[in-house]
Amino acid sequence: MTKVRIFVTYKQSVFDPQGETIKDAIHTLGHDEVKDVQVGKFFDVTVEGTGKVVEKTIEEIADQLLVNFNMETYKYQVMEEE
Amino acid sequence: MKIAVIVFPGSNCDIDLYEALHSVCHADVEYVSHKEKSLDGFDAVMLPGGFSYGDYLRAGAIARFTNIMPAVTKMAKEGKPVFGTCNGFQILTEVGLLPGALKRNNSQKFVCKTVPLEVVNNQTMFTKQYKEHERIALPIAHADGSYFADEETLDRLEKNHQVVFRYAEENPNGSLRNIAGITNERGNVLGMMPHPERAVEAILGNTDGLRLFKSLLTTGNAKVEE
Repeated sequence: MTKVRIFVTYKQSVFDPQGETIKDAIHTLGHDEVKDVQVGKFFDVTVEGTGKVVEKTIEEIADQLLVNFNMETYKYQVMEEE
Repeated sequence: MKIAVIVFPGSNCDIDLYEALHSVCHADVEYVSHKEKSLDGFDAVMLPGGFSYGDYLRAGAIARFTNIMPAVTKMAKEGKPVFGTCNGFQILTEVGLLPGALKRNNSQKFVCKTVPLEVVNNQTMFTKQYKEHERIALPIAHADGSYFADEETLDRLEKNHQVVFRYAEENPNGSLRNIAGITNERGNVLGMMPHPERAVEAILGNTDGLRLFKSLLTTGNAKVEE
């Protein structure tokens, strides 16, 4: 079994109004050193198997369902393998 | 012309769409469940507004996987009229029948009001009863209506006259190039965020949507040749 976390965000070129608003709020806290905030979502997925087989599954479900490539991009990381 | 109105779990404008066609336009129209696999015998299909599958994941993303969608895609490929309003538009982009995507409104808020629109292209089977560049007003009611596509796609849409409706004064949601409705390249698939089916009776204060349905109904068994 492998536990994978898939992160989905808007592409850099896509305006993220939530991120902008949160950044403004952070600035009112006095943290002007914060230059960019991007909001996204993540999916924790548990898959049978390990290694390349799992990667293939993750990439397929991201490509075909979890991500809308018109506006979004994704990355993933393996959290646990057993 | 026999028209199917698809009902998804979470559709909430299906009755409005059905009654606009049935009671107001006296068209031959039937509800078709998302569970059905065939649209044989229908000449056109319409996807209503609402919140299919609770807008889980992204608006329209799950409806794409219902039994009926391959039949909708088949009708689109055959050149038959396919129309989606609001959630129907979102589904048409998710299934790939229309380019681009609908993002969360820039305001992050659900917007519900009547907005002025420009009919940019009156040469489609859905808009031929409007005048070119005519100003109309239609209700909008959505949280995810900000049209997004890359620059290349936007240029192509404009070049091919696929932009059919634009927000005319204020832009209520952040849609790029003020886009409110587009067709596919062939012109037989129309998706739009505004609700023409909510503007078909004088007693409700607005009939600007009526000519969209009348345009289509007077096309007869419309079919666009390739």
